Amino acid sequence: MSAPPAEATPLDGLRVLDLSDPFGQYAGKLLANLGADVIKIEPPEGDAGRRIGPFLDDLPGPERSLFWWYYNADKRSLALDIAGDDGLDLFLQLAAEADIVLETAQPTADRPFDPLLLADACPRLIVLSLTPFGQDGPWADWAWSDAVALALGGPMGSCGYDNLEGAPPIRPTEHHAGHIAAYYAVFGAIAALYEREVSGLGQHIDASVHEACAFTIESSAPWALYERHPLLRQTGRHAGPQPTEPWQYPTADGRLINIFGMPRSEAAWLRLVQLIQRDGLGAELSDPQLLDGRNRQLGLKQETALRMLDQLAEFIAANAAEEIYHGAQQAGAAWSIIRTPDEAAEDPHWTERGFFIEVEHLEHGRTATYPGAPYILSRTPWRQQRRAPLLGEHTVELLKDELGLDPEQIAALAAAGIVA
Amino acid sequence: MPHSPPPTSPPPLAGVRVIDFTWIVAGPTCTRLLADFGAEVIRVENQQTLDSIRFGRPHPNGFDPPDSSGMFNWLNRNKRSITLNARHPDGLDLLKRLITVSDVLVENYSSRVLESWGLGYEQQRAIREDLIYVSLCGFGHSGPQRDYGTWGPTAQALSGLTAMSGFAGEEPAGWGYSYLDHMAGFTAAAAIAAALHHRRRSGEGQHIDLSQVESGMVLTGPATLDFTVNGRRYAETGNPPGNRSVWPRAAPHNTYPTVGGDNWIMITCTTDAHWAELCSLSNHPDWRDDPRFATLPARLRHEDELDDLLAVWTSAQDGRALMLRLQEAGIPAGIVQNGVDLVERDPQLKHREWTARRNHEVIGEHETDGLPVRLSRTPAHRDQPGPRLGEANEYVYGELLGLDPEQITELMISGALG
Repeated sequence: MSAPPAEATPLDGLRVLDLSDPFGQYAGKLLANLGADVIKIEPPEGDAGRRIGPFLDDLPGPERSLFWWYYNADKRSLALDIAGDDGLDLFLQLAAEADIVLETAQPTADRPFDPLLLADACPRLIVLSLTPFGQDGPWADWAWSDAVALALGGPMGSCGYDNLEGAPPIRPTEHHAGHIAAYYAVFGAIAALYEREVSGLGQHIDASVHEACAFTIESSAPWALYERHPLLRQTGRHAGPQPTEPWQYPTADGRLINIFGMPRSEAAWLRLVQLIQRDGLGAELSDPQLLDGRNRQLGLKQETALRMLDQLAEFIAANAAEEIYHGAQQAGAAWSIIRTPDEAAEDPHWTERGFFIEVEHLEHGRTATYPGAPYILSRTPWRQQRRAPLLGEHTVELLKDELGLDPEQIAALAAAGIVA
Repeated sequence: MPHSPPPTSPPPLAGVRVIDFTWIVAGPTCTRLLADFGAEVIRVENQQTLDSIRFGRPHPNGFDPPDSSGMFNWLNRNKRSITLNARHPDGLDLLKRLITVSDVLVENYSSRVLESWGLGYEQQRAIREDLIYVSLCGFGHSGPQRDYGTWGPTAQALSGLTAMSGFAGEEPAGWGYSYLDHMAGFTAAAAIAAALHHRRRSGEGQHIDLSQVESGMVLTGPATLDFTVNGRRYAETGNPPGNRSVWPRAAPHNTYPTVGGDNWIMITCTTDAHWAELCSLSNHPDWRDDPRFATLPARLRHEDELDDLLAVWTSAQDGRALMLRLQEAGIPAGIVQNGVDLVERDPQLKHREWTARRNHEVIGEHETDGLPVRLSRTPAHRDQPGPRLGEANEYVYGELLGLDPEQITELMISGALG
């Protein structure tokens, strides 16, 4: 147990072989940004993630996918065909020396290897299988997409509109089934690493996207478990056992304020009322009944709260979003502006915290601004040292340094289409 | 089973003690994962400012707080509970003593609460140098909006996630629950596992500063890059697109109605082969031969007509039966399930033993859910229900801190135990 150097990362010195499909690549990114040496093993023709947009200047190309850039930052690329025996053998040699193998192949007959057998063969290795439905069960080999996972898993059923006749449930965009599952998988894998420090033993981890989504649905879970009671989906607010009042209100400058997070203390309530009444609006908010927080409580459709909401809506409609947001927050109400991601990126708070990072893309002659750390670790900072790898960028160095192959052997493998 | 675990391997975080100053959903989601993985999680509660989830519905066996909430029991299984008032000098002293025997302290209060107790990270560190301190709040512990507050919906709106759900031209459909309470909790749990791993190798603790809004902004990578790299604003191009595809592009890719009222199936033909299979199983060679639908670009151009045709076809069918037919043909399709479907009608979850029966002194017999990540040798557990308020006072103050029963009673009377 030697102490890592100062400014270490939590996963310093650990190697991850990342065989994941696009949906699993966030898991590999999280491990890479925590300091692991993550080698993305992709087929010689390039990973499917390279074909997912949006693209740099809207021109598709294996090195132009912004999806690939984001989800594979800080990884190295080994272009290796493991569908055939020779490539698989090279992979297995690397696996024997690795700490984590991340793989997402569904448990069908044609997957390149059995992850349980790999875990058995390599006692220190943690084999992280992140698959749509897990390693067994009637749906284990089902076809899927992120949207299908959100439908089957529950998140989608809670989201939608109650004020649009016949509107379906809506799945929020941007691959959230993969996001949810990635955190579970990474938590499990790091916990297994932690345990391995003492036992010296690896293990197999069976992570299921379907199960990760199931019950990442907040109160729908206890209402189902205890009462068998499905919840009603409602526009822009929590699904509930009964209909509730709207939370989203339009501003004078054509944006929306979400008023969820009303003040709970009397002092904060009075500050909010003062803000609203500054311009002569909201006279009815001085109703002494509203001093009692119970009469302001939303969700019950009580008359006092409905009158309060009318007054709030009038105030919001008369003012600009940024002013309402800062005024309400400073009064002690956790109101928000509904921002698109580009609008969110323009809030100076995140710049001040150093959230956005600049990443160099020398081959395109530019840098790009990325969302940065999901956590600030004071001693072992989250880091992103380099952009996502070019296809096969590290193939030669890995074959040479890690597998001891000479230039002739590497050329032969390339000629046979096994590496690129 | 090729991998046969010794039956007695404890969960991976066994031996880790966590002081849990969390409430509502985000923090308890984090500490639930830690507890399921074997950490000893001690919720520290104050009767004057109880976690409002202790009053949260449903109350399966009747409303009798603080121990009757199903919501609380669901979020807090496998944890212990003590009562303590950190604003009472003796309470604060006890808390400091508890820190000396703990590994992690997690809180999701507003950003200055622990400082106001005289227990910011530097003070915690003076008590126990290798402590891992996790603060989870809306905007983090720095920056001009540090003192602003968030709930899940606030953070979702500010991060961009709310706006990314719904139909263009309508107000956002957003999220029907506090997604970022879950995700901030998961994010914190992953960071804690990493910090524990570092501590085991180096002996060093640290402060983990987590912002709930940032935990959402990291989930918008491609959309944010489309702005920072291509200059394209999210809403410019018909976003959000309902249930149609964004990236990768695919069509058909939507929800379609099935019989029985508010029932829907998500069908996503992500390849041309999927589309050909769909035309054949639906007995619609006319669709296959229609030039409007011959290629993906063509289908994307005629998505309205395509979706209308499919909706007519699906609306006469049973969703579950249709899903099976589509899946047999290898087409990615799934019905929209709600929570009750998951516990009652999902054969995959049933096969994987997703729910298990447990008992709770106040709530009684109930079901608890599973863990989506299964470790072969050191599995997680779901044995204990959520704690009754203060049920571990004797264990923590007596056994861990070595107070005798008279001292505990005195502290109780003085108000130090909240």
